[in-house]
Amino acid sequence: MVLCMFMIDVRGLRKVYGDRTVVDGISFDVEDGEIFGILGPNGAGKTTTVECIAGLRRRDGGSITVAGMDPALEGTEFREAVGVQLQESRLPEKQTVAEALQLYASFYARPRDWRELAERLGLLEQRNTYFGRLSGGQKQRLSVALALVGNPRVAILDELTTGLDPAARREVWGLLEDLRGTGVTLVLVSHFMEEAERLCDRVVVIDRGRIIAADTPEGLAAGVAADQRMSFVPSAAVDLTELQSLPDVYTAAVTGDRVAVTGSDNVAAAVIIALHERGIQATRLRVDQPSLDDAFVALTQHDEPAAETQADVEPESHPTAGAAR
Amino acid sequence: MTATTDAVRAGGFGRGTAPGGGLGWAMRDTSAMAGRNLRRLMRQPEMVMFNIVSPIMFVLLFRYVFGGAISGLQGLNYVNYLIPGIAVQTVLFSAGVTGFALAEDLQKGFINRLRSLPMARSAVFGGRVAADTLNNAFGLIVLLVTGYAVGFRPANFLGLVLAALLLLLFALAVSLGYAVIGLTVRTPEAVNAATFPIIFPLTFASSAFVPVQTMPGWLRGFATHQPVSVVINAARSLILGDSATAAQRAQLLGGTGTGSLIVQALAWSIGIGLVFGLLCARKYRRLTR
Repeated sequence: MVLCMFMIDVRGLRKVYGDRTVVDGISFDVEDGEIFGILGPNGAGKTTTVECIAGLRRRDGGSITVAGMDPALEGTEFREAVGVQLQESRLPEKQTVAEALQLYASFYARPRDWRELAERLGLLEQRNTYFGRLSGGQKQRLSVALALVGNPRVAILDELTTGLDPAARREVWGLLEDLRGTGVTLVLVSHFMEEAERLCDRVVVIDRGRIIAADTPEGLAAGVAADQRMSFVPSAAVDLTELQSLPDVYTAAVTGDRVAVTGSDNVAAAVIIALHERGIQATRLRVDQPSLDDAFVALTQHDEPAAETQADVEPESHPTAGAAR
Repeated sequence: MTATTDAVRAGGFGRGTAPGGGLGWAMRDTSAMAGRNLRRLMRQPEMVMFNIVSPIMFVLLFRYVFGGAISGLQGLNYVNYLIPGIAVQTVLFSAGVTGFALAEDLQKGFINRLRSLPMARSAVFGGRVAADTLNNAFGLIVLLVTGYAVGFRPANFLGLVLAALLLLLFALAVSLGYAVIGLTVRTPEAVNAATFPIIFPLTFASSAFVPVQTMPGWLRGFATHQPVSVVINAARSLILGDSATAAQRAQLLGGTGTGSLIVQALAWSIGIGLVFGLLCARKYRRLTR
C-alpha cells in the first residue's frame, strides 16, 4: 500500500445495478482542506459515487481511500472521519434543532460542541424549533451542522441547495465559504454551476457514469469555446446587416427594443466602437461571459434524453432488489 | 483483484470497533435511539390516540354490545374472559408502529443517514423495539385500567404480571415481523395495507373475543392452535390461576395446563422473533447494495 497523499483518492470506481452500469470507471482525488465539486446532470451517477465514498454502498470495482481508509472495510473509525448530508434525507417534522444535534453528536467519540456549532451556523435561536417549522435555508444549515457535528475530516454534501430559493441558497453558500480554511475537506455534489463557480477549488463533471471534465471552475469555463453574448438598447435605430458585417460578429438580432449580438471575444468592444462612429449609444448594455453553465451544457449535451429517464431511478429505488431476489 | 472484491463484500456492513467498549457503547446508542423514537411517537397525536382510544373502544364494544350474546363461557364472567383477548389484540395492533416508523424512517432517508454514523448497528433496531415495547406496555396499562373500570378482576395478580410480560415478548416478536414488512414495502401506508389482511384474521379467528367452541369445525382447529390464540390462552390461564374450573380449562383454554400453554406461547414468540429477526438483519444489510 502506497502512502496516500490525498484526503480522498478514487481509482476506477465502478457500480453496477443489474445490467446497468451507473458508475463506469471514475477516478479523481481531493486534497486535504479542499472544496471539491462533483457536477453533472440528474442521473449521471453523482449520488452513487459519493455514497460509495461515504461507505453507504458497496462498489463493484476500483478502489477508494478516504483519510487513509477504505470505506468498504472500515467501520466506526471511518464513520467518525466522514460526515455526510444526504440528498434524500429529512428529519422528522417534530424534532427540534437541539434534539437533532444532541442525538447525532451522541454517536461520535469526539463530537463538536453542538451549541457552538449551532451558533456558528446561525441556528442557536432556533434550537427549540421543530424541524418542520424551519425555513428551507435553516433546514439545510441544520443538515450541514449535522454533517459537521462529529468533527469529521471530510464532509460530503449532496445537493445541499437543491430546492432552495435564491436567497436561501446564497445564505448556505456564505456558510460554506466560512468553512473554508477550518481544516475540513468538503465534497459538494451539485447541478448548480453557479454554486461550483463560487465555492469549489476544483470540479469534476460526471455524465452517464464517466468523468467528462476535471479542472478548476474557471479552467472549465474557459476551455469551452462558447460565444460571447451581448445585448443592448440602442439610442437610435441600428442597421443589423451593418453589425453583422463586422468581423467579430457572428449573429445579430432584434427583440423588441433590444439588440442581441453574439460573436468572438472582442465582440463587445467592436460593436460599441462601430455604434459610436455612427453617433449611437448602447444603453442598458449586458455582456455575458461564457460561464460554467455554458461549459456544462456544452459538455453534457446529448442527442437523446437518456439522462432524464435515469434520473428517476438513481437515488431511492434500489434496482437490484427486484432482480437479485 | 479477487482479494479486493472479497474484502469489499465482507465489508460495507461495518463491524466497527467500539470507542468505549462494546456492550456499553451499544446500550448507550440504543437508549439514544429509543429516546428519539419515543419522543417522536409522543408527538404524533394520532399514534397516542390509536394507542389509548382503540383498546378502550374495543373493551366497551365487546363488554356492553356483543358481550350479552356470547355463549359457551362455562360460567366465566365475560369481562374476565375478554380482557386478555383484547390485551393481545392491543399489542398486536400497536406493534404495527415498528413497521410504520421504520418505513417512514427509510422513506425519509433517516436509516441511510444512520448508516453513515459511527453508531452501534444493533441500536437501529434495538432502539426501535425498545421504544415500541414501552409504547406497548403503556397501551396494556391503559387497557387494564379500563378493564378494571368495567368489572375485570384478575384472580391471580402475579399471573397478571407474568401474562403482561408474555404479551410484551410476543409483541416484540410481532414487531420484528412488522419491521421486515416495513423494510420491504418502504411506505407507512403500504405497511398498513400489507399487514391488515394478516393481523385481522389472526385476531378475530382466535379465542380473543369468543370461545372457539362456538365456531364451525373447519375454523375451530385453526382458531385453537394458531399463535395468537395460544398466547391469549396462556395469558388467560395465568390470570385465572387456580380459579379456572376443569370445564373452563377444557372448553376455553385449549384443554392444557398453564405450564404447557406458557411453553407453547414462548416457543411461538421466540420462533417468530428469531425468523423475523434474521430476516430483518438480512434486509438491513441489503440496503448497502
